[in-house]
Amino acid sequence: MAPKNRNPAATQSSTQTVPSTPAAAPKPSSSSTKKPGSGGAYDAQDIVLGIWNKYVEKTPQRVKLLDTFMGFLVVVAVLQFLYCIIVGNFPFNAFLSGFSATVGQFVLTASLRIQTNPENKSEFENISHERAFADFVLGSFLLHFFCVNFIN
Amino acid sequence: MRWLFSFLALALFCVVNARSFTGSRLLVVLEEESEREKYGVFLGDLESRGFTITTLTPKSESLSLFKHGARAYDHLLLLPTKSKGLGPALTANLLLDFMKKEGNVLLALSAETGTPTAVQSLLLEVDIHIPSDRNALVVDHFNYDSTSAAEKHDVLLLPFPKPARSDVKDYFGGEGVIAVPRAVGQTLGNESPLLAPILKAPSTAYSYNPKDEADIVEEPFAVGQQLNLVSAMQSLNSARLTVLGSAEALQNAWFAEKATLAGKAVKTANRDFAAKLSSWAFKETGVLKVGKLTHYLNEGSSKKLNSSSALPENNPKIYRIKNDVAFQIEVSEYTSTHLTPFELPPNDILQLEFSMLSPFHRLNLSPISQTANSTIFGASFRTPDQHGIFNFAVKYNRPFLTGIEEKRQVTVRHFAHDEWPRSWQISAAWVWIAGIWVTVAGWVVFVGVWLYSAPVGAAVKGGKKTQ
Repeated sequence: MAPKNRNPAATQSSTQTVPSTPAAAPKPSSSSTKKPGSGGAYDAQDIVLGIWNKYVEKTPQRVKLLDTFMGFLVVVAVLQFLYCIIVGNFPFNAFLSGFSATVGQFVLTASLRIQTNPENKSEFENISHERAFADFVLGSFLLHFFCVNFIN
Repeated sequence: MRWLFSFLALALFCVVNARSFTGSRLLVVLEEESEREKYGVFLGDLESRGFTITTLTPKSESLSLFKHGARAYDHLLLLPTKSKGLGPALTANLLLDFMKKEGNVLLALSAETGTPTAVQSLLLEVDIHIPSDRNALVVDHFNYDSTSAAEKHDVLLLPFPKPARSDVKDYFGGEGVIAVPRAVGQTLGNESPLLAPILKAPSTAYSYNPKDEADIVEEPFAVGQQLNLVSAMQSLNSARLTVLGSAEALQNAWFAEKATLAGKAVKTANRDFAAKLSSWAFKETGVLKVGKLTHYLNEGSSKKLNSSSALPENNPKIYRIKNDVAFQIEVSEYTSTHLTPFELPPNDILQLEFSMLSPFHRLNLSPISQTANSTIFGASFRTPDQHGIFNFAVKYNRPFLTGIEEKRQVTVRHFAHDEWPRSWQISAAWVWIAGIWVTVAGWVVFVGVWLYSAPVGAAVKGGKKTQ
């Protein structure tokens, strides 16, 4: 996320450079602009640790909350899908509604994350966070209503 | 005194009432009125069983099988005549029409007079074959009557026939020997399921023409058990055509005659056999009647059965798929005077088909209960997982029994939207129900925490600053 908000031109250039060095490319570009000292070693553990630290350090509280919730949804969806694979899809509508409840909720949450992320502020100037959240709540209500009805 | 009178009246009524299931008008066609004497005992027996006998000759003006387009008689007994033809009132077509209108025919053939052409073509029509020689008869050098036919061996003495298969009812069984003098043997076509032999010739018998001068019979018409002395054809409308090879067997002379079989003196039991044969041929025995067919939903509180004999069937018109349904059919058998509960022969079963184009179920019906004059057969089953227009069909066609073909149509609908089981009734769905509610609960918690963790205005501004 960090390099994206520099300016549009930088984003484009970085995406163009990705094919040549896919794993390491984002790291140097971001670290060279912000913190030249921390990205000295290129081994995988450091890179992951660096990303994690940066995420913990720079991400706003609400975005972290959104990410936690999305991770939770992914776990629930995976569990349901595994159950379907192991046990079979007998009440298929039940599987569909259970699985799509998580998928739909994930999509709605992702939309909320995009709209409320302070780094995307320039793209959503005319949508307030309150408006985005209200949309999210309404969409979620509709989704839950449909899922509960569909599972019968 | 009075009770005695009424008792007598009742007894008389019972005697008169003993008659065929389909009607009592019997037409007897014979060569001339004087011949009636020869068959006097047989015809007298028929009359005492309740038949109204009209005797006519083929030349008679008033001979007609039909009147105003309907049958004028219920049964026809055709005794041999000397003339080659039977006249315009008894052509093969008219005889067939008579049978199409459910008239029964008992044909008695004779080797002495030959078979009229009308009868020949009638027999060809139903795939029963008789020798082309006019005088061909059946002889047997082992089972002949040495009293009356010591030289010619053309009077056969046979035991009463036994059913050919164990799952066929026995209508012609009895004690004693039957004399079959000078019989015309018949062979039955292989194709027709409507034909059945009643009395087969013994394996040592063969058919030959006594006018033939040759010492050795070459290429006989038929030999052994291929030859039938009495055979029957019951058409799909249950009209019966019985062919008796020897009309002489019905004559008074053979009804209780002393005979000698292989050195032993025996007495012929033709009277008994003639009674059994004619009562089968004229539908006094072997007649099935279907009473009420009922079917009902056999589930929980909606289980209700129309068991009243007064009420009509009143069956449901519609079922749902996977319904438990019970079916009952009432079958009676007519035995010469009254309806009795029908009992299946051993090794035979009555079956129910639940079919849409092809049967989805074919089930054995088992006897559930008996009333005074019927047996109630029943079966219960679950309607298949297929909606459409279905039939409850019972088909039962057996030799010597009139056919049963009954159908009741019902609609089988699919589940209505509120008849499916709810999700929580299916344990396999519990995980996905949990999935939904965990998602909802997670969402509620998320919303709460989101609202609680609203960044203060400064923090938001601070965030802006850092960018």
